[in-house]
Amino acid sequence: MSAVENAKAVLRRLTAASATERILISFAALVMAVLVGAVIILVSGRITTCQTAATTLFGTGFCYDPVEVYLVLFNGALGEPFLLNDPALFNPNWNPLNFGFALTLKETTLLIFTGLSVAVSFRAGLFNIGTQGQLVLGGLATALFSFFVAPLLPSGLVGGLILIPLAIVVGALVGGLYGAIPGALKAYADANEVITTIMLNFIAAQIAFVLVSEFFGNPDSQVVETTPIPDWATLLPVAFPQGGDFSILALAFGLALVVAVWFLLEQTSFGYDLRTSGEQPEAAEYGGVDAKRTTVTSMFLSGALGGMGGAIWVLMVMGKWQAGVPALGFDGITVSILAGNNPFGVVPAALLFGTLKSGSLAVQFGTGVPKQLVGVLRGLIILFVAMPEFFRMLGSTIDLEPDRETVATDGGRLGGDDE
Amino acid sequence: MSTTTTDRLRDTELSYRATLAGGALSVFLLIALLGLAFPGSIWGNFLTILTSRSTLSSALRLSVPITFAALGGIFSEKAGVVNIGLEGLLIISAFTAVITTAVVGPEMTVLGLPAIWIGFFAGILSSVLFSALFAVVCIRFKADQIIAGLAVWLIALGLAPFAATVYYGGVNTDNLGTTLGTWTIPVLSDIPFFGAFFDADPAVYMMLVAVPASWYVLNRTAFGRHVRASGENPKALDTVGVDVSRVRYAGVLLSGFLAGIGGSALSLGLGQFVGNNQTMVNGKGFIAIVAYLFGNYNPIGAFGASFLFAGLEAAQIRLQQVPGYAIPDSLIQTIPYVTVLVILALVGRTRIPEAAGEHYDTGDDNR
Repeated sequence: MSAVENAKAVLRRLTAASATERILISFAALVMAVLVGAVIILVSGRITTCQTAATTLFGTGFCYDPVEVYLVLFNGALGEPFLLNDPALFNPNWNPLNFGFALTLKETTLLIFTGLSVAVSFRAGLFNIGTQGQLVLGGLATALFSFFVAPLLPSGLVGGLILIPLAIVVGALVGGLYGAIPGALKAYADANEVITTIMLNFIAAQIAFVLVSEFFGNPDSQVVETTPIPDWATLLPVAFPQGGDFSILALAFGLALVVAVWFLLEQTSFGYDLRTSGEQPEAAEYGGVDAKRTTVTSMFLSGALGGMGGAIWVLMVMGKWQAGVPALGFDGITVSILAGNNPFGVVPAALLFGTLKSGSLAVQFGTGVPKQLVGVLRGLIILFVAMPEFFRMLGSTIDLEPDRETVATDGGRLGGDDE
Repeated sequence: MSTTTTDRLRDTELSYRATLAGGALSVFLLIALLGLAFPGSIWGNFLTILTSRSTLSSALRLSVPITFAALGGIFSEKAGVVNIGLEGLLIISAFTAVITTAVVGPEMTVLGLPAIWIGFFAGILSSVLFSALFAVVCIRFKADQIIAGLAVWLIALGLAPFAATVYYGGVNTDNLGTTLGTWTIPVLSDIPFFGAFFDADPAVYMMLVAVPASWYVLNRTAFGRHVRASGENPKALDTVGVDVSRVRYAGVLLSGFLAGIGGSALSLGLGQFVGNNQTMVNGKGFIAIVAYLFGNYNPIGAFGASFLFAGLEAAQIRLQQVPGYAIPDSLIQTIPYVTVLVILALVGRTRIPEAAGEHYDTGDDNR
């Protein structure tokens, strides 16, 4: 009894003390990543060749201007609300329901699922690097299920209402079961989940490839992909333009999941067990938590969220499964780390990352800077978030040590890291 | 008490090795037996492939990047820093090696050194610099090693295709039109099967030297003793007056150096860097981690595991050419990963150095 009380006190202290600090660290990491990114843009601007320099610093011309790159990125992600080279500044023709913004929200929606998936495992003290694999197989299960069941249902709205939720459940189940494998290996064979989940990512990609190329492929296609599922069984864009592949329903579902996961983690006894075994494993065991079962269940839950991400990718974006699944699972790691593994933090972190990803296309077209820049920024953000000590030292040398008591006024644990 | 612990450790290690060696040997004997009994069957073909010189030759070549990254991983993790950024180190060195050679000019020689070797060393240098960054982040700034390792991987995964696109306009580099080539040792290379050892990529020779050398350094030198102590019991090392941080820096930099050789050899063996999807490295850094876990942190064991995985891949490539056995190669490529899962599940966890993944504080202010 007293062990439980003790663990609770520790937990309360840990979360209370870290919330503000984590927001500050995420924000500082972001700023640092943007700054280092700017240097990389400048340096790469010296490597490439151009007719006229985009910017001149210290008497040296550079082909890429970092400020312009970031402006174009942000502007492109929102669908050009600003006229960058015009005194009028605001674009009178701007419509919030535009293609660029739909792209941003599409990425955001997908990242909410994978970010939540990673966050759940991290809160349980488990490094689930395997969201990508869970997503790949979950998505494939959804595509196959939809394709085979669709002919049995009435087409149109009624069929969609029956099929789509079922297909998402199937994706979640398959993703969850695939996530439970490393969970069980960790719990019962003491196998390091970092290694096993990475292995399972490769295995998932290869298995899915073989299944589709040998058995379930589209015979009319040169690409390794499944036959498309009928339109009525996919999540169609409601208010947004057709090509943006974004459905507001999926976003709403994602946001509802955020609340559900938060509730599960913070308000239920299962969530309590999960967090204590993540933060204080010994205390949790002592307090009567079945650590093995918690490990498997948390990994199932994490995998199910990853599987749902795959289901949404299939139902909203592709309308089929196709080889070369984007690295949404790995981006989910960034999102979750940036969010301090907090479900609510996942939303602004996913929005930020969605903005980066969708804006990168505008950057490539508008400034010539390759869109892979976002991949670099992703790594840099993780690197800086990983070393809070760096910012503490930086803070103490320039005497701006973040004081926990005095900065607790900036909105607590929600948001704040979205810039 | 400490002797009994050591004894027990040695016993588990011995039984672990015996299990692995026994398993590998019996599988091979089974294939040989089946192959001899039914020469026309798949087993017969398999035996022919396994005993052919070209399979051995390509297995050696394919195991180079995995082995070097694995050797690096051993030094880093034995010193107490888990380096899951090996994949990133391979990517960055593979890319730098090619681009440097291209910038110097593939046909040029500088100070008597062909450009391709300048590229080779530049690749190693880039990997060392990257691992230095990782070391500072992990040791001085006490970052979580797993997350920092992921960051190293993801940065390299973004940076190499980014830089390739800036320079070449696409994620792949142009082909250099030249490779490291092969070094042939006369007479010895004429030996039927084992001649493959003497008619190989220069990196293969480096590997054959690096494996025993790593074993020697780790097990028979003072530095090796410090590295092992730093990962097992940093407090004791500190007590006898050795700077733990310095040993750990050395371990991580060495992992960068070794992985850099692997990465340079990988891309320069082909003469090109391929940046699609997971890049041409395609998980070799992670297989390397598996290889040293599989080899129980022993350089020779790690080489054995790398060679086994590479051998499977080489045999698989050859098997595709035998008509009638169209096994999807994607499925065969899963074998190393599945093997690892089975091994981890059955043999149990290989014993990770006691203090690996943990920060060590000397107690005094080390700013």
